[in-house]
Amino acid sequence: MTFRQFAFNNVLRNKRLYIAYFLSSMFTVMVVFTFAIFAFHPAFSEGTINQNVLLGMSVAGGIIYVFSFFFVLYSMSSFLQSRKKEFGLLIMLGASNKQIRLMVFLENILIGFFATVGGILTGLVFAKAILLVAENVLIISETLDFYIPTLAIVVTFVSFIFLFFCISIFVSFILRTNKLVDLIKGDKKSKGEPKASIILSVLAALLLIGGYGTAISVEGVYVVYAMIPVVIVVTLGTYLLFTQLSVFLIRLLKNNTSIFWRKTNMLLFSDLSFRLKDNARTFFMVAIISTVAFSAIGSLYGFQSIINGTKDPYSITYSPFLNDSKAIIEEDTNKINAILQEENIDAEMESLELNYYEIAEENALIISASDYNRFASLIVDKELHPEENEAVVVEQSGEAGGIVEDGPKASEWLMEANVQLEDGQELQPKRIVASSVLPTTSDGYYVVNDKDFERLGPPERKDHSVAWKLEEGQKDQIIEAGRKINNLEGDLQYKTFIVDYTIYEINKAYGPILFIGLFIGIVFFVSAGSFLYFRLFTDLDEEKRKFQAIAKIGLTQSELEKVVNQQVAILFFSPIIVALVHGAIALTALSRLFNYNLTVESSLVLGSFAFIQLLYFVIVRYIYVKQVKTVLR
Amino acid sequence: MLTLTNVSKIYEGKVAYRALTDISLDIETGEFVAIMGPSGSGKTTLLNIISTNDAPTTGQVEIEGKAPHQLKKNALAKFRRTELGFIFQDFNLLHTLTVEENIVLPLTLDGTRVKEMKEKAHQIAESLGIAAIMKKRTYEISGGQAQRVAIARAMIHQPKLLLADEPTGNLDSKASKDVMAMLEAINKQENTSLLMVTHDPQAASYSDRVVFIRDGKLHSEIHRGESRQAFFQKIIDMLSLMGGDGNDFSSVRV
Repeated sequence: MTFRQFAFNNVLRNKRLYIAYFLSSMFTVMVVFTFAIFAFHPAFSEGTINQNVLLGMSVAGGIIYVFSFFFVLYSMSSFLQSRKKEFGLLIMLGASNKQIRLMVFLENILIGFFATVGGILTGLVFAKAILLVAENVLIISETLDFYIPTLAIVVTFVSFIFLFFCISIFVSFILRTNKLVDLIKGDKKSKGEPKASIILSVLAALLLIGGYGTAISVEGVYVVYAMIPVVIVVTLGTYLLFTQLSVFLIRLLKNNTSIFWRKTNMLLFSDLSFRLKDNARTFFMVAIISTVAFSAIGSLYGFQSIINGTKDPYSITYSPFLNDSKAIIEEDTNKINAILQEENIDAEMESLELNYYEIAEENALIISASDYNRFASLIVDKELHPEENEAVVVEQSGEAGGIVEDGPKASEWLMEANVQLEDGQELQPKRIVASSVLPTTSDGYYVVNDKDFERLGPPERKDHSVAWKLEEGQKDQIIEAGRKINNLEGDLQYKTFIVDYTIYEINKAYGPILFIGLFIGIVFFVSAGSFLYFRLFTDLDEEKRKFQAIAKIGLTQSELEKVVNQQVAILFFSPIIVALVHGAIALTALSRLFNYNLTVESSLVLGSFAFIQLLYFVIVRYIYVKQVKTVLR
Repeated sequence: MLTLTNVSKIYEGKVAYRALTDISLDIETGEFVAIMGPSGSGKTTLLNIISTNDAPTTGQVEIEGKAPHQLKKNALAKFRRTELGFIFQDFNLLHTLTVEENIVLPLTLDGTRVKEMKEKAHQIAESLGIAAIMKKRTYEISGGQAQRVAIARAMIHQPKLLLADEPTGNLDSKASKDVMAMLEAINKQENTSLLMVTHDPQAASYSDRVVFIRDGKLHSEIHRGESRQAFFQKIIDMLSLMGGDGNDFSSVRV
């Protein structure tokens, strides 16, 4: 047996020990590979897709690659931790440090090679699925057919062999060989009980409360300013929460004998307080990574529904430039009508002259009741019939998705001002109505009786507005019409606004961002789960020993299951619950920024993550309980 | 109170191994029995079977008229925790718990009231001389203290049968004497039956009766007379008669 054979056999004949590390490495390779299949798809390289998307994808690929480097490194080091005793034995038998490093290096290369190959093979299985998903999320005209991804295979293979090579060198250098006796006793050494500082615990609570409070209370554009400080404060708070506050709370709990001494609580909590400190960093990392995943996916999804939620009562609105003559306006409307006819679109058109008058030293728009009602009947809205000598203030509404602006609303100053008629009579506005009947950019305007309107005198400024209302169910045609209008020469495209076409364009540009965001979010989330899995199985042997000791005294199976369940549940859910709360707060802040209710979207995203985590918990719990139970006869 | 009838144990596997052959043994209530024998003679297997950690291949075990091996798993755990007490060579204390918490653990699992647990723990700690270290953690105390804590844990629920596996194996001679004296006192005062497996003739000399086994079979047994010193000598003689190798003799000899 040469040394090389020894190192290889050590891996091959000890599969159970290496399987977790192998699987997580393989998973990482698989993720990167599926992403590469997608990114290197011939449909993209033929140049029909936007350059920004390609740039975005390479950045995303880079992020995933760097992240997988750290993920594999973390898996490796936690794996080596659990093998202290084995190294101790080898050193005792006379292995030099150099030999041990060589062994770790060889093992790593071996596992890395098979993980890369395995990852690529399993990735191929999922390739069609990922392409199908991509096709539906991205709005692209090409279909993403399955292809033999030679380039993706080569790139993934080379980059991961390189990654494993680097990690092997890296790990074998950082592998600390402590004193022999420490290695041999390694896992038996008892650590002191972790301590928590009261000041830091209080600070943790204050930081979290402060961060949350700020995030929830700010509104509108201030959300943007508050974001970075809040993120820093909450991140720090989360770290202290896991390293200090949690230890502190459990200590408090332990001092309360009526709880601590009740049945299996003693086993659960004493162990928790010990493991929390070890777990704190894992918890912190998992919580932050999951928060990033939740917030990213949540806000991307939220944005999309904000965009798609934008409601404009008119399908097409046309507002000419200020100095456009009547002839130009006529010509433009004719062009639009011609295009609508070409596409066989049924549409009703209404046009309107907008008259601005000087009121309280500002320009205010005044509309006659009959003009208003024409538009109201077009979109089937409530008509307004102001009495003679009455002015109604209309507040423009339905501006969902816009960033909330500061300052008083337009209707406020309109209510305070008076409408002056030509003969000097004043109309005092009495009521405010919110509506989106008029296709105008004004925030508010007056509607007056037709007779009063005639007595208004010459307007300060005139404007024009034309709007089309389409029959339902002509979405494809309108998008096509929009494309035609946008391709016309001249500046007609800047004067017309076609809501469906704009949303279509935004979605098209947005699709790749959503897809990439979703992908990275899921990668982060699944790796967070793997971190927890590793954490759990690193301590498995010690746990087994402990339960074996207790089982001899007499521990029923249901009691053992209860303790293990609670332990795994706390391990799995405490970081995720923190992340869910973080994510919920972040999405609340987002909805405040856009003044758009994202409750449904947030609960959908957070709920589905919680559900996946629950599934993950059930599976891991099953494996873990089965493992621990082997110590019971 | 403990009756073994023709107990045999065969370990199945690639190479089947017969660890115990037709062992029959009776232990009276309040009796203190030591089991001795050379390495590999089946002492620990026998103890594991009695302590219900392992099941016999054939034969019956009866404790207080009950057959624990017929019980379901959960009932068996309850049985262990109420009827039996265990003392181990490596103490088996949980290092995450304090001394006091370790002692009350069996009661805690049973859901006893906190006040009652405190009282009992205090009482037993007083009698074992470990009241001063109740708040200490297991790595802050000496081996002798740790074994006394383990005894306290084994005794707190007043078991009918106390099982000890090499209780002095990890202790120096002074601590060994203390622990053995303590076990003897418990045996006499509480009238608890005690079964101990040991290598140490010194420890065995505290018992009422020593049963020798060799190669999985009962070899012989000797009873204690008046003097512990004389009994110790008899044990030594028996060991040399059994032809055990020199290293089976404890350093405490002479």
